[in-house]
Amino acid sequence: MKKKKMTVLASLLLVSAMFAGCSSGFSGSESKPADNASGKTSETAAAAKDLKVYVENEIKDLNQWKASDDVSFTILNNVEEGLYRLDLKNEPQPAMAEKVDVSDDKLTYTFTLRDNAKWSDGTPVTAQDFKYAWLNELDPKIGTNGYSFIMTDYIVGADEYAAGGSADKVGIEAKDDKTLVVKLKQPTPYFLRLTSLAPYFPMKEEFVKSKGDGFAVGADSMLFNGPYTVATVDAASGAVLEKNPGYWDAANVKIDKVDVKVIKEKSTALNAYKAGQLDRVLLSSSDVNASKSDPGFGTGINFRTTYLQFNTKADGISNVNIRKALKYGFDSKLLADQVLNNGSKAATGLIPDVMSGFDGKSFREMQGDLVGVDAAKAKEYWEQGVKELGKAPKITMLVADTSEVKDVATFMQSEYKKNLGIDVVIDTKTSKARNQLMDNSNYQMGITAWGADYDDAMTYLDLWANHTPYRGNYENANYDKLITDAKKETDEQKRIQMLLAAEKTLLDDDVVVVPIYFGGYSYLLNSRVQNLEYHPYGNPVDFKYADVK
Amino acid sequence: MKRYIGFRIIYLIITLFIISTVTFFLMKALPGTPFDEEKLAQLPPEQKQMIYASYGLDKPVFTQYVNYLKNVVKGDLGTSFFYTGQKVKDIISSRLFPSALIGLQAVLLGLAIGLILGIVAAYRHNTAWDYATMIIAVLGVSIPNFVLAALLQYFVGLKWGLLPVAFWESYPSSILPSIALCVGVIALIARFVRTEMLEVLEQDYITTAKAKGLGTIRIMFQHVIRNSLISVITILGPIVVNLLTGSLVIENIFGIPGIGSLFVDSIKMNDYSTIMGITLFYSAFYVFVMLIVDLLYGLVDPRIRLASGKG
Repeated sequence: MKKKKMTVLASLLLVSAMFAGCSSGFSGSESKPADNASGKTSETAAAAKDLKVYVENEIKDLNQWKASDDVSFTILNNVEEGLYRLDLKNEPQPAMAEKVDVSDDKLTYTFTLRDNAKWSDGTPVTAQDFKYAWLNELDPKIGTNGYSFIMTDYIVGADEYAAGGSADKVGIEAKDDKTLVVKLKQPTPYFLRLTSLAPYFPMKEEFVKSKGDGFAVGADSMLFNGPYTVATVDAASGAVLEKNPGYWDAANVKIDKVDVKVIKEKSTALNAYKAGQLDRVLLSSSDVNASKSDPGFGTGINFRTTYLQFNTKADGISNVNIRKALKYGFDSKLLADQVLNNGSKAATGLIPDVMSGFDGKSFREMQGDLVGVDAAKAKEYWEQGVKELGKAPKITMLVADTSEVKDVATFMQSEYKKNLGIDVVIDTKTSKARNQLMDNSNYQMGITAWGADYDDAMTYLDLWANHTPYRGNYENANYDKLITDAKKETDEQKRIQMLLAAEKTLLDDDVVVVPIYFGGYSYLLNSRVQNLEYHPYGNPVDFKYADVK
Repeated sequence: MKRYIGFRIIYLIITLFIISTVTFFLMKALPGTPFDEEKLAQLPPEQKQMIYASYGLDKPVFTQYVNYLKNVVKGDLGTSFFYTGQKVKDIISSRLFPSALIGLQAVLLGLAIGLILGIVAAYRHNTAWDYATMIIAVLGVSIPNFVLAALLQYFVGLKWGLLPVAFWESYPSSILPSIALCVGVIALIARFVRTEMLEVLEQDYITTAKAKGLGTIRIMFQHVIRNSLISVITILGPIVVNLLTGSLVIENIFGIPGIGSLFVDSIKMNDYSTIMGITLFYSAFYVFVMLIVDLLYGLVDPRIRLASGKG
């Protein structure tokens, strides 16, 4: 009996030892050493300015060659910096680069780096750091985020290198420490914008090598050249960013500390905001009406279009009249205003509302509306399609299991019932399963979305030139030609005309996709905060310009 | 006794082997890859293949399984696909503490209150005490813990400002989640203890004890409660495992970096190595708790012998 008691006691001790072993598990306690360290200077910086924000998902990855999600980009964009950085008006401004010389044929970019561009270890940021990082992004063994296309599409020899070719033939040349020469395949008016994106950030080879597999897994295995450094980071609870004193533009960085929390529940974020623990909160549609009178209320729009993707090879859907019927058969204005009610807007085309066109006009202003409800037309097309097919096709809509998309799908189902008198079946799958079905061409139509990486219609339109099942097996030589020609065209006006024609072909003539809505959001912002910039595309958030009263 | 524990350890290894095999093949049957397919859709197929190959995902599933087992035997759970570069072992240990602390507090608190309520209800059977306790028990079972969590967060955290609304920053952060989780335990334990005690109270040996002239308190503690605990110990095992391994909903509501949400996310994202790591951890933990429960039986009721032969 005694022996047994001892065994039990021993096991209990073991369990309690397990807890004691990880007693420093509070994310707050981890950051304490940092607080103490800065405590010495607290007399001089009496009013340290801090900003408290949150992200809606884990900080999955701070390795620039692996990260592909908005949350990781949010952190990376503030602790690293590319050649250019977007300003408050979303225009690219010189950052690591001091200036750029573009050749007359617009194919050669010669960047001159700043003298005071430094890594957080004090060493200068060099042209070699850019070359090294960019080649890593292109190498499929290292750059696994799927973002290499954002280089291969533009830089000479990048495609061949990504497929296993030689690095010497890639058009990225470090002429000397301060001069980086980039050769492009075709004139790209938005190339400077691209250099502000995370896959285009530099990194120091020596540092990466010294960290081996442990590179960028924590704050101490990262090297920074942006406005902030990562003081602490925990994928699940958040990160604390501190002002980088060695940053070239440190004089203009006003916030000393940014606390980025991870909160997945919208209601939790709202409660934390009300309790003063957050400076900004995104609202769920059910909270929007109650918050509209709040002085901190605001809405914003993302360059993100949610659309219906038709599989042009699927039963029934292969008929263009059926696709046209489905295009005109629902009222997305009703959807945006009454179902979503979160700042989203009914889509009038594939290219989002405020995306640049030509000569100060937006792409949408130039193109006009390409989609919109028309019940009579829808019915007509449907009957025409049924006649051609010989019978009414059964339609299944594939959607991911997120609450927003499910709401959208249910709404569209009821609209199709009302306007076409048909019963559309909704097939809900996890995102992974939906992607697989689409990759295998095993769907009729699916709801999916694309967020712009840069402010140009090409970020959307070249997606349908790759003929994959995911993009509806769409093949149209005319469309492909418009895209390849537009990529080569040096005359900006002609280029935009080609893109306008491409969008029309895609949406009007061939009806491969039906845009549903432009993603938006509603938020509450603490009145003490100014210039906290949420970019509508690319790297989403900039803390660099923010200030608090 | 030693032989018994040795036998149980072999049993544990076989169990873990079977569980890991089944999980591995089920997991590989999940649709999709651990990567961002929407982004990869832009790449030429050859480049996609190269990315898969760099993670060893191009090999046949059986080969992948053998490689995995080899590493596990060496004590290497691999690196996460989702949290690139992070060791699964490190992720699990960092996520375990919050869940385990909250769970342990919930179990201890729930057990203490549940026992008291159950005992009071049985002892004052068919009185207002009994009814009041059972109403609490029914409420505890029927109110979902996420509703309670939201209410606690709103009133205690936001309106009254007594405890943190959310996050995992210091010890007080763990109090509200623990309370939200423990209510279910209270209800369950109270009901079990009450039923069991009522049964024991009618046993002959209680009548004998009374006849011997033993005091009520002595009868209660030495005979009734001790004999009623058997059933509580039986349900305690699963409760402990459940709570210490985290609750997705509670963790999300209070913004706690726990292992419950990690497990669900790893499955959603096809993070193979993390799924396997957590599954192995859960199973090992479960078998371990079951062993303790079995040992506790002997402690509570000496008539229960664990193994034949010398004790």
